[in-house]
Amino acid sequence: MIAYESQRVARWYLELSLILFCLQVTVGLWLAVNYAFTLPQGLVDVLSFATSRAIHTNTLVAWLLLGFMGGSYFILPLECKRELYSVKIAYAQLVIFAGTAVTAVVGFLFGWTQGKPLLEIPVPLDMLIVVAALMFVFNVAMTIFKAKERSLIQWMLLSGVTFLSVLYLFGIPFFSNLNADYYYWWWVIHLWVEGAWELITAAIIAFIILEVTGVERKVVEKWLYVETGLFLFTGIVGTGHHYYWIGAPDYWLWWGGIFSALEPVPIALMVLDTWMHVKERKNPIVNPLLWTYIIGLALFHFLGAGVFGFIHTLPQINYYTHGSQITVSHGHLAFFGAYALLNLVVFYFAFPKLKGIEKFDEKLGVWGFWTMVISMVFMGLIFGVAGVLQTYLERILDIGYSTAHMSMMFWFKAVLFFGVIFLAGVVTTAYHLFSLKKAEA
Amino acid sequence: MTGKTAKAIFWVGTLSSLIIFLWLTYDFHQQEPKYAKTDKISAQVVAGKKVWHKYNCNDCHTILGFGAYYAPDMTKAYFRLGENNIVSIVMNPEKVYKNSFRKMPNLGVTKEEAANLVQFLKWVGTIENRKWPPQDEKFVKAYKLRETSAHTLNKADIVMGACGGCHSLENLGRSIASDFNDIAKTTSFDRATLVKFTLNPQSVRPDSGMPNQNVSPATAELIADFILSLKIGKEVQK
Repeated sequence: MIAYESQRVARWYLELSLILFCLQVTVGLWLAVNYAFTLPQGLVDVLSFATSRAIHTNTLVAWLLLGFMGGSYFILPLECKRELYSVKIAYAQLVIFAGTAVTAVVGFLFGWTQGKPLLEIPVPLDMLIVVAALMFVFNVAMTIFKAKERSLIQWMLLSGVTFLSVLYLFGIPFFSNLNADYYYWWWVIHLWVEGAWELITAAIIAFIILEVTGVERKVVEKWLYVETGLFLFTGIVGTGHHYYWIGAPDYWLWWGGIFSALEPVPIALMVLDTWMHVKERKNPIVNPLLWTYIIGLALFHFLGAGVFGFIHTLPQINYYTHGSQITVSHGHLAFFGAYALLNLVVFYFAFPKLKGIEKFDEKLGVWGFWTMVISMVFMGLIFGVAGVLQTYLERILDIGYSTAHMSMMFWFKAVLFFGVIFLAGVVTTAYHLFSLKKAEA
Repeated sequence: MTGKTAKAIFWVGTLSSLIIFLWLTYDFHQQEPKYAKTDKISAQVVAGKKVWHKYNCNDCHTILGFGAYYAPDMTKAYFRLGENNIVSIVMNPEKVYKNSFRKMPNLGVTKEEAANLVQFLKWVGTIENRKWPPQDEKFVKAYKLRETSAHTLNKADIVMGACGGCHSLENLGRSIASDFNDIAKTTSFDRATLVKFTLNPQSVRPDSGMPNQNVSPATAELIADFILSLKIGKEVQK
């Protein structure tokens, strides 16, 4: 049931993405074990927390990017009403990207790292990533340029992927000054998640909503303009909420505080417009699970990125919460709510079509969805409790680090418990997607 | 709302934010020397930063509050631990954290690398970052006081400045090694042995996990007196 043959490349991207998702969560559980128990020195010497964390976060980025790329390749032919510019480039790019990711992970195990959190991939491998990104942007751009009709979704997607690739460059050089290092590190991390990635999310979701609900394109595009405009307006200067404590002028407290406090607004609009489009749908609901995911994405995006970001974005609060488990709570809820769920929406949109199934049997998938969502809410809350406790003990009562962190062991056992349930949800979902079957009439 | 208004919101929103941000970025670089003390970034500091990256320290520790939250923040570590403790911890984590609930890997950091790392952390500690992290501000103050007016300090302050990286004294210091009150209660060493032990623990007790302390003999004597004074205090109380 795909309309264009070249959409098939997406399958490889999406399946690999799904496998890396399972790997990422498994390594995440191992990190929780590191927190919850005292590990023997011999083990820590060989496989440190740092190495495992590098794998956890890099597989996260890799599976999200693979999902974005696969998703783009899947929807572009539909949106451009033509085949992809080059299927060969798409495959070559996948081989380079996946090969680099695997090499990077193996390299981490042997201590080959750039040593920057989240951007640990060493410079030579960075260059390969850049090559893959250039190929991707070129392929997307050429497909769009050769299309007969131009649309807002096309160029929003193109701007998103271009912006994403350009920003990556700021994480590559060595800075001798640590605060400038982190100033530009946030150009990658923050401007990705609150800029480029939001553009991609907004474009992909706008397209999928258009497809499944059948609402008027003009209405969807209007929302798309307003939302992305507000995302960029609040998100760009909002980067300043990371500059409070790095050694930068005082005005950042104002610029960063005010703009980032407005960051939930576009996400709230997204909830609103998703809700309205679903209500005013012209098409029947074929696969309810896909709709559940679309609404789940909007709500969880707002909760994780919007609400949990907002609560510690003001400098008066952030002074105490910065660099604590509260950040971990926000990080997990936001990445899951905004981007993991986006990819899952893409999976549930694309997989049935790639397998030629119109209405799929969704029983297992529903289990997967609710297991993941509920256990992630619990994990986020427990990280949050651990963070409040840590902040209170360490920064308000002024109890030493070790004493304060000993209490973390209990909370991380709880995280581990819900983490295992979350992994069960992930595996169920992955299994469901891989073995998607037609619904019995 | 018309499509035109929506388009205008996009362009005005994006461009205004971008212009403000780029302008602030320009200003950030203008003011960098003042906030980050860029003139103090020596070749050794840069070498230390490379050590920091090489061993991926930042994926367990935070610095300026960024990184992983598995181990303490390193922004003001120089003031909290002092040169000596940083070197001992980095080079012999398995000894320092022998009894700790959490371990630090021994990554084979060389003496030279450790020395460079100290210089890097010393420079990082001087970044004007609005006294963050809050819990380390007391160490910064104590360090500055020891530097500028040591004569006004009491013994406890001096001892905790040198030993507080591992030992505690009631609510001061860290509980990696024993509390000074417990040491005073249980030790059978006399003054001379205590001094010898402080300077080179293994020369007295070969199985000791405590690293050598390169404090001056005078400070070692002061520490010994301090421990013995706690002992008398406790016995008198009884």
